[in-house]
Amino acid sequence: MARRLYRRTPRLNARRIGLYLLLIAVAALFIGPFLILLSAATKPAGQDVFGFPPDLIPRPPVAEWFREAWTTIPYARFLVNSVIYVGITVPVYLVVSALTAYPLARIAFRGRGVFFMLFLSIMFLPGELMLIPRFLVMSELGLTDTFAAVILPAILSSLGIFLLRQAFSQIPDEIVEAARVDGANEFAIFWRICVPIVAPTLAVLAILGFVSVWNSFIWPLVVLTSQSKFPIALGIAYLSGVSGTDVRGLAAGTVISLVPVVVVFLLLQKRILNSMGGAVKG
Amino acid sequence: MPGLKGRVVGQHWYTPYVFMLPGLLFYAAMFAWPAVIAIQLAFSDYDIVHPVRFSGLDNFVRMAHDPRVWIALRNSLLFVLMFLPLTVVAPLFLAMLVNLKLRAIQAFRMLYYLPVITSMVAVAVAWRYVFNREGVVNWVLGLFGAGPTDFLLDRHWALPTVVLLEAWKNAGLFMMIYLAGLQSVPSDQIEAATIDGANAWQRLLNVVVPSLRPTFAVTLVLSMLEAMRAFESVYVLTRGGPLDATLTLGYYIWSKAFEDYDMGYASAVGLLLWAIMIVLAGFNLLVTRRRDI
Repeated sequence: MARRLYRRTPRLNARRIGLYLLLIAVAALFIGPFLILLSAATKPAGQDVFGFPPDLIPRPPVAEWFREAWTTIPYARFLVNSVIYVGITVPVYLVVSALTAYPLARIAFRGRGVFFMLFLSIMFLPGELMLIPRFLVMSELGLTDTFAAVILPAILSSLGIFLLRQAFSQIPDEIVEAARVDGANEFAIFWRICVPIVAPTLAVLAILGFVSVWNSFIWPLVVLTSQSKFPIALGIAYLSGVSGTDVRGLAAGTVISLVPVVVVFLLLQKRILNSMGGAVKG
Repeated sequence: MPGLKGRVVGQHWYTPYVFMLPGLLFYAAMFAWPAVIAIQLAFSDYDIVHPVRFSGLDNFVRMAHDPRVWIALRNSLLFVLMFLPLTVVAPLFLAMLVNLKLRAIQAFRMLYYLPVITSMVAVAVAWRYVFNREGVVNWVLGLFGAGPTDFLLDRHWALPTVVLLEAWKNAGLFMMIYLAGLQSVPSDQIEAATIDGANAWQRLLNVVVPSLRPTFAVTLVLSMLEAMRAFESVYVLTRGGPLDATLTLGYYIWSKAFEDYDMGYASAVGLLLWAIMIVLAGFNLLVTRRRDI
């Protein structure tokens, strides 16, 4: 064993170093723009943001642009709004999706397949195409420019119902039958036995829900008019439209908006990465 | 699955509907009702101020004579054509790269995935800096003797730049889809091909690609639909400009509806976009089905 390692190591090392260099070069393409943003956000006023050759190191790094972004627009308000949007949307989304997916997986009834296809059809009604009619529905309901208008369309997704149905149907019958013999009703079986078992799937959906609500832009733009209800993404667009915003201030504001998503991603990266490929593949 | 014949103890005929009730209500209010309104509006005149007026096929006749619809259609199709190789081919190589058994490979997967989870608005700000006249891209091009270009203000470069942003932002997602596919390719097949003397390129073409067929079916549909409905990137980077160079169908619908309040006409264009997406998805389904048989 030891001898084999000894003999193979040198050749592997050259190949390995080459592969790591390639991996790092590709990584630079993907995170480079974020680093440039961070660099612009921390450069002092006297140092050029742009120029040939690019000079990315701030000398010295300063925090004043974060303060400027924070005060130019009601930044704290936008952050709180986004937290409210996420805090209401995600739990409701999980409960509604689980309730809907459960019978599609575990109760035999006529038309089950039709109902499943109905919920999957959401895939072919993308938000971009629903802007106009949903705006009119919200006017009809008297909900334009309210928090509810932002939240309601985000409660149902085909991915959520698809993944949860899959998770529920993989629960072994014996577990459920045992509870049924003990006299548990269907809701008790759903809530006390099945929901805890599909918790990993719920966690994945919670993360995806958080990311999509945090980043949502177009629908709030259409349905909201009061600045006091803007989510953070709309706040950034607003900041970039405020005349006289320094490129450094805009960069700083953008960096702050990225922090929550990046932190969640770093903490839960394994779960997110492993879910994504599998989720889309089905 | 519980027994298909006879009622299970504790279940009634109405049990599944009670469970699905909230879901069905949201479906009705946020999808079915708007879909009906969208179709109705496509055959009507509506400017928000005056009541909806049925106008038959007027909107569609108008569309056929509207040069901007044709520009938007052309730009959307160009978008798909440029977007496809960047999201269906390139991420396969990314996936092969991060499928290597190396230490810290998970960290690289994470870095490549980062743009997927960040907001388009934030990413667009970063890209405006990268593609600035005095930004990094122009500096690199300058090293090869190319003069500085205002990519987002140039009629020829604006659309490819927006496509590149969308592809860059989505590459990590497509990479993870391919990675899941690659990890289910039987390794004994690859070993057998290696023993038979196949080089890396031959192994890719003859073993890996054929066994990834179901994955390609997914990435192809996803890529086409994503490109067809591209809108947010256009909104935050170019607003359809310069001179309609980045006017996509999605952006045209938005500007007709929420800038001109020409809701009926915008809905008719929306119906066209919807029809194209259904045809593309259906076409994909047909092609991939046939291969399976």
